[in-house]
Amino acid sequence: MSDVLIASQAPGGTDLSVPPGASGARQFWRRLRAQRAALVAAGVVALLVLVALAAPLLTAIEGQDPTTYHPDLIDSARGGVPIGSFGGISGEHWLGVEPQTGRDLFARLVYGARVSLGVALAATVVQIVIGVVVGVAAALGTRWVDQLLSRFTDIIVAMPLMIMSLALLAIVPSSFPRPVLVAGVIGLIAWGNIAKIVRAQTLTLKGLDYVSAARLSGWGTWRIARRELLPGLAAPVITYAAILIPQNITVEAALSFLGVGMKPPTPSWGQMLTAADVWYQAAPQYLLLPAGALFVTVLALTVLGDGVRTALDPRAASRLRVGTGRRREAKVASVTAAASVTTATSAVSATSVASVTGASGASGESGESGGAAQGGAS
Amino acid sequence: MRHSSVRARRLAAVSVSLAVAAGAVACGPEDNDAKASSGGADAKPAKGGTLTVLNSNPQQDFDPARLYTSGGGNVPSLVFRTLTTRNREDGAEGSKVVPDLATDTGRPSENATVWTYTLKKGLTYEDGSAITSADIKYGIERSFAAELSGGAPYLRDWLIGGADYQGPYKDKKGLESIETPDERTIVFRLNKPEGEFPYLATQTQFAPVPKAKDTGTKYEEHPVSSGPYKVVENENDGERLTLERNTHWSASTDAERKAYPDKIDVRSGLDSSVINQRLSSSQGTDAAAVTTDTNLGPAELAKVSGDKELAARVGTGHFGYTNYIAFNPKVKPFDDPKVRQAISYAVDRSSVINAAGGSSLAEAATTYLPNQKSFGYTPYDHFPAGKSGNAAKAKELLKEAGHAKGLTVTLTHSNAKDFETSPEIATAIQDALKKAGITVKLQGLEDNDYSDKIHNARTEPGFFLAHWGADWPSGGPFLAPIFDGRQIVKDGANFNTGFLDDKSVNAEIDAINKLTDLDEAATRWGALDKKIGEQALTVPLFHPVYKRLYGKDVKNIVISDWTGVLDISQVSVK
Repeated sequence: MSDVLIASQAPGGTDLSVPPGASGARQFWRRLRAQRAALVAAGVVALLVLVALAAPLLTAIEGQDPTTYHPDLIDSARGGVPIGSFGGISGEHWLGVEPQTGRDLFARLVYGARVSLGVALAATVVQIVIGVVVGVAAALGTRWVDQLLSRFTDIIVAMPLMIMSLALLAIVPSSFPRPVLVAGVIGLIAWGNIAKIVRAQTLTLKGLDYVSAARLSGWGTWRIARRELLPGLAAPVITYAAILIPQNITVEAALSFLGVGMKPPTPSWGQMLTAADVWYQAAPQYLLLPAGALFVTVLALTVLGDGVRTALDPRAASRLRVGTGRRREAKVASVTAAASVTTATSAVSATSVASVTGASGASGESGESGGAAQGGAS
Repeated sequence: MRHSSVRARRLAAVSVSLAVAAGAVACGPEDNDAKASSGGADAKPAKGGTLTVLNSNPQQDFDPARLYTSGGGNVPSLVFRTLTTRNREDGAEGSKVVPDLATDTGRPSENATVWTYTLKKGLTYEDGSAITSADIKYGIERSFAAELSGGAPYLRDWLIGGADYQGPYKDKKGLESIETPDERTIVFRLNKPEGEFPYLATQTQFAPVPKAKDTGTKYEEHPVSSGPYKVVENENDGERLTLERNTHWSASTDAERKAYPDKIDVRSGLDSSVINQRLSSSQGTDAAAVTTDTNLGPAELAKVSGDKELAARVGTGHFGYTNYIAFNPKVKPFDDPKVRQAISYAVDRSSVINAAGGSSLAEAATTYLPNQKSFGYTPYDHFPAGKSGNAAKAKELLKEAGHAKGLTVTLTHSNAKDFETSPEIATAIQDALKKAGITVKLQGLEDNDYSDKIHNARTEPGFFLAHWGADWPSGGPFLAPIFDGRQIVKDGANFNTGFLDDKSVNAEIDAINKLTDLDEAATRWGALDKKIGEQALTVPLFHPVYKRLYGKDVKNIVISDWTGVLDISQVSVK
């Protein structure tokens, strides 16, 4: 730990401030692999992405599609409850059918994964692009630009995400493509925190010798930002993105649940939840399937995000090496990535990361490291 | 243009939630299961006990001038007697109008423009004082006061001088078109023939209000009872209403209300799932509980129908109501009757019914009028779609209309979770029309926005989901507002969404309004409905069926076709 603390207190040495390049990436993978929970989570996420991408193929194998009505599979006289046990599960309908319509639940669930993951990813991209641009511009701009952008960021952070989304989604004409709209709205409202983190990190990097050297050698602001600053921002941005994705999934589901997100007949998990909530007694699987899918996805992404954060955090890495027999490796890693990553992480942990990841299952370690970072700073 | 926007709003509200607001009741003899339960060990209804009413909507503005009811309402009818009232019988018999305070349902003269009523002898208020015809006149006049708004618009539209009358507080002279030659006689003079006046006289505006006890807007806190119960407590504007026996009410002057329980405890503001959960577990005071505004939803029905004990405690009723697709023929391509007909053929009513809650909660509709005799129901199916749609015939018509390559249209609907004009129904229609080569884009609107848009001639979409319920069980209030060309409103709320202005239709409406034989009128309304149906301005989809749970100790269930729900004036809990 001592070398790390020194690094963070004296981020001056040129050899310490090398941005994480190819070897950094390799270190990152190695450290990520060292965390079993993160590995399992990564496997689950990969499976979900695969399922989402292969949705047409999977439903073709099943022989169903998400929109065809099957009135013969529901008991119309009993409110449209699926005929048969466990919601009409059969060889043809692997997860049963939807009450009142008889639409295939497996098909709706896997197509719903496309919406959930797709919208969340797109929203995250929007958030990161805006956040990085605003953050870097604020840090590199004149005092006026910084003041203006920072206050604007404060306003964005202070805006209640759900209420703003509800308002925006309600006024846009329904002819606008819905997934693009939902992703755009979530992205445009929730980029404030990432902009703050990027600004703080950029200000730190700006004071480092290699950036000063670049400026002295006559590089323009744009070139410095692109060549010298952005690589150093990669770690905190990736970390924060990993946290944003599950958040965005939840927001999309909530918006669809409230009736302003995805529109029928496009299946989405949030929309399935809203239709299913009254059926929890008569056809429990109808509610449990989207709820379970949402739970597993958000949990896996959160654990993975936590793993990514830990893998990018050299102090956590130094703890990882204990008992793993990788003492030398970890030491090398901490030396190569220390300065940039450490400062990045302290900025990140000082904001919401520690609290967010601290709440998830496999985060004992990161919670500690967040505490360590704060301890080091004081 | 005689429709003010206020009227439109009231009507809109009623068309959306008439059953809920009305709160009438009924028992379900047509439902064998219900009979079995109500006819259990000691089926004989007896006096005594407390009946609990579990509702979602409060009894807001509990003033007879302000209530908008069908047939006098369910809870209101326990406190307010009116000139006429609903026949408290099961099924079709229950959609008849019968005398209440009056000795008959009214004596028409001068071509049904003058209606005369005589009060029964020995009628008293809760304080023992006598009810006079002047009190009824005063009660009606109060409903014209701006501060006591909320009631139906008919009195203002029908009574001579009604359009300009400002109510008794501003205009002490009163309404000249209501005459009270003696204490027991009241005469109404109308500006046009209205053969259905006896139906109107069931509304709470026809309840007597003693002028000396009128406290204006505060009257709703303690209205003077003429019925079997009086208000002893009214908390939070009708959220909790406690009614106790009115000892001055006499069953000898009231053939309709049974009034078995000693006390009625109305508790509102409950979530519908909570109400159904409490009624199904039927614990403690909930064993003697009913609801006057909450139906079983599809999922609740699925659970209840799987349980014999619960299924035996479900009352089934029919309320005159139609859910349909409406076209605006001013919007292309719906100006072409062939396109409208093609959609009529393509509709899959079985999937629509499933979306509405299944065959126990909805019945297929091919007529605009509800499928009950009192409305003049005359079966027709001009564009037979069969049970699940006739895509081939629809394609053929589209080809003739020049849309051989198919058609893309936008269906406007509400986002309310009501299984009526909601996304589920729209999606079912979208799926059915796809088979006929029609691509349907869905435009879901927030419920108020939806209601405003479809009832404004300038913003009305071309193709949308709609529903209509009438203020009383007759073809008149069902057809006239929707198809009378003189009721098209260019600015403000318009209900003639098909902009039909057909001289022969208008003339027939006038002719039927003159009839005072309600059976004959019903037959003519039915024939008119059949004729209008040929124009395919609407595609009738389904009529709802109401299923409601009641507690295990509740006996004597009466459900009329007027209200479709259990009548609490008939219920016994002992």
